[in-house]
Amino acid sequence: MRHLTRALIRRGLLGAAAAVLFLVAAAPAFALTNPDVTINQQVGGESTRFTFTATTDKDAPVSALTLRFPEGFDIRKAYANVVTLQGLKRTTVKASTSVRGQDFQLAFDPAIGPGSELRVMVYSVMTPNVGGTYALGVKYESGGQQRSAEGADLTFSYVTASRSVKLSRYVDQQPWVAKWNSVTALNLFLKPQLIVTSAPLMFTGWLMSLALVGVGFPLAIIGGLMLAFMKMSKIPPLRWIAAAYVNVIRGTPLFLQIFVAFIGLPIAGVHAPWFVTGFVVLALNSSAYLAEIFRAGIQSIHKGQLEAALSLGMTYPQAMQHVIVPQTVKRVLPTMTSEFILLFKDTALLSAVGVFELMMYGSNIVARSGNLTPFVVAAVYYLLVTTPLINWVGKLEARLALAEHGQGAPEPKRRSLWDLLATRRALTRPAIEAEE
Amino acid sequence: MGKPVVRIRDLRKSFGTLEVLKGVDMDVQKGEVVVILGPSGSGKSTMLRCVNRLEEPTSGEIWFEDTLVNDAKTNINQVREHVGMVFQSFNLFPHLTAKGNVMLAQRKVLHRSRTEAERVAEEQLRKVGLGDRMDYFPAQLSGGQQQRVAIARALAMDPHVMLFDEVTSALDPELVRGVLDVMKDLARGGMTMLVVTHEMGFARDVATRAVFMDGGVIVEQGAPADVFDKPQNERTQDFLGHIR
Repeated sequence: MRHLTRALIRRGLLGAAAAVLFLVAAAPAFALTNPDVTINQQVGGESTRFTFTATTDKDAPVSALTLRFPEGFDIRKAYANVVTLQGLKRTTVKASTSVRGQDFQLAFDPAIGPGSELRVMVYSVMTPNVGGTYALGVKYESGGQQRSAEGADLTFSYVTASRSVKLSRYVDQQPWVAKWNSVTALNLFLKPQLIVTSAPLMFTGWLMSLALVGVGFPLAIIGGLMLAFMKMSKIPPLRWIAAAYVNVIRGTPLFLQIFVAFIGLPIAGVHAPWFVTGFVVLALNSSAYLAEIFRAGIQSIHKGQLEAALSLGMTYPQAMQHVIVPQTVKRVLPTMTSEFILLFKDTALLSAVGVFELMMYGSNIVARSGNLTPFVVAAVYYLLVTTPLINWVGKLEARLALAEHGQGAPEPKRRSLWDLLATRRALTRPAIEAEE
Repeated sequence: MGKPVVRIRDLRKSFGTLEVLKGVDMDVQKGEVVVILGPSGSGKSTMLRCVNRLEEPTSGEIWFEDTLVNDAKTNINQVREHVGMVFQSFNLFPHLTAKGNVMLAQRKVLHRSRTEAERVAEEQLRKVGLGDRMDYFPAQLSGGQQQRVAIARALAMDPHVMLFDEVTSALDPELVRGVLDVMKDLARGGMTMLVVTHEMGFARDVATRAVFMDGGVIVEQGAPADVFDKPQNERTQDFLGHIR
């Protein structure tokens, strides 16, 4: 959670949280000759509140105060709230304010007594878009004299708004957005401001999900092939081990396996980086499913194929490599792809143990914003991967049908994954059998 | 007569409790074309498959030239290199073209160069009349064409003997002839052949010997004309009476 909070602060999504942190860090009162100023907003280009604290001189009361804001600050709508603190007693001071150019002028009636702790809060100050370090000019009238704050720590800093924050502000100002957001469902699921701010953040999570499955799936293919050949082995113990493994993995939820890996392993003294634990547990899980897919694929090849290869003097491994497996690959590619799709979607389960993948980002921003838009953004990111894959499988199947059933095979219509899974069984029958 | 290419002695084969071959003896000399006839279940296909050990004999001996085929120490792959086989169901590799089918084992088993394998494949495919179908995939060929590719595939290995296991049974009648013509050419070229078939015409024309099997044993054998026209055994008479 801490990582994300930091990330969100950096991108200015969490203005409120940032302000809290900043105020906690603010220094206590200084003498007016050594005053301090804080700003309750880290990101530029927004309406913000300044807090100016100081201790008035001991020799005379203060009757007026001028705060000169740097060029670029818009104080036309600014207003102020002034209090003095004496011990625990907090007194509101009557102050008349006026704005002249970059000067924000306050006149106190009655004047503030000597040695008071003064706190001036100026609201609705628009900071410039470009962040940086700025200094506040301070002058005050005391005992009929104009004085300047001396040796003052009157500088403050803020950051330039990120592109997504600027975009969000821009979107915020569009008239259609207000209308759009007035429809509850649209506001709840498709809030434009949240789309533009959460999409770049969640991109990082999307990459993480892809990386997890990108490393895990190739490992699962290797493991799945090993398990498939173990299951078809002539050596009984190999068969038993593979069968037991496949049954246990396929018979228990991935969720449980993730918990065992992420909570059990550290207790057992195994400390791996969470990314490693993540892709390993995905690979271990998927290899069991792939083993069954491969085994079924290999066994679906007509036994005459193996006999023909052997009768030509090929060894069993040669027959597997050059005759059986190439045919198997073509046949299992669609099922393998849907297994990949399943595994990619299952990376979401890793959010339950704190892995920062797509779903984790989504649910965190949802928790912060109280709006479901990030879930929709996450869905789009998932579909970005799964939809082209499903289409690709369709084209692949068409090519396969053409190769196995001749040029006369009809061009398949647009097909869904369901149709593919259903027709796969028909396709796995060799053309030879159909002629028999 | 010289040393037989294939010598079978007291061959027995059981599937579980079912004894399919009950002691078969047979010698096949170089250049012989032996046609094996018999009702289904008589064990003729099983016998053929024992020759290259696609079926493991239960007992008895099978010799290929100087090698005891059913010896655990025998490298069966070396035997199979020289024993070509053609199946009822063609068993072409569907992911390879006709030429690819004929080239694969040449490359992997005989370690011929690509050019050499390609040359042999093209030659063999032309011989079986498929010079214009080399780059077709099996699914793009008719059954008869597929079976001829399968024959070319076996011949490309320069076999010493060819086993034909009911190679025309799965074909439409009009496609049978092309395959039989190829086999006849092969026989006339001097190839040693063991042919399980129901094609009487082919047997009469080409075979040097006809063998009639029933119930897991050889019931009668001899010159085709003798076996077909003057069968001695009652079961042979009965069988021939049925298929005529």
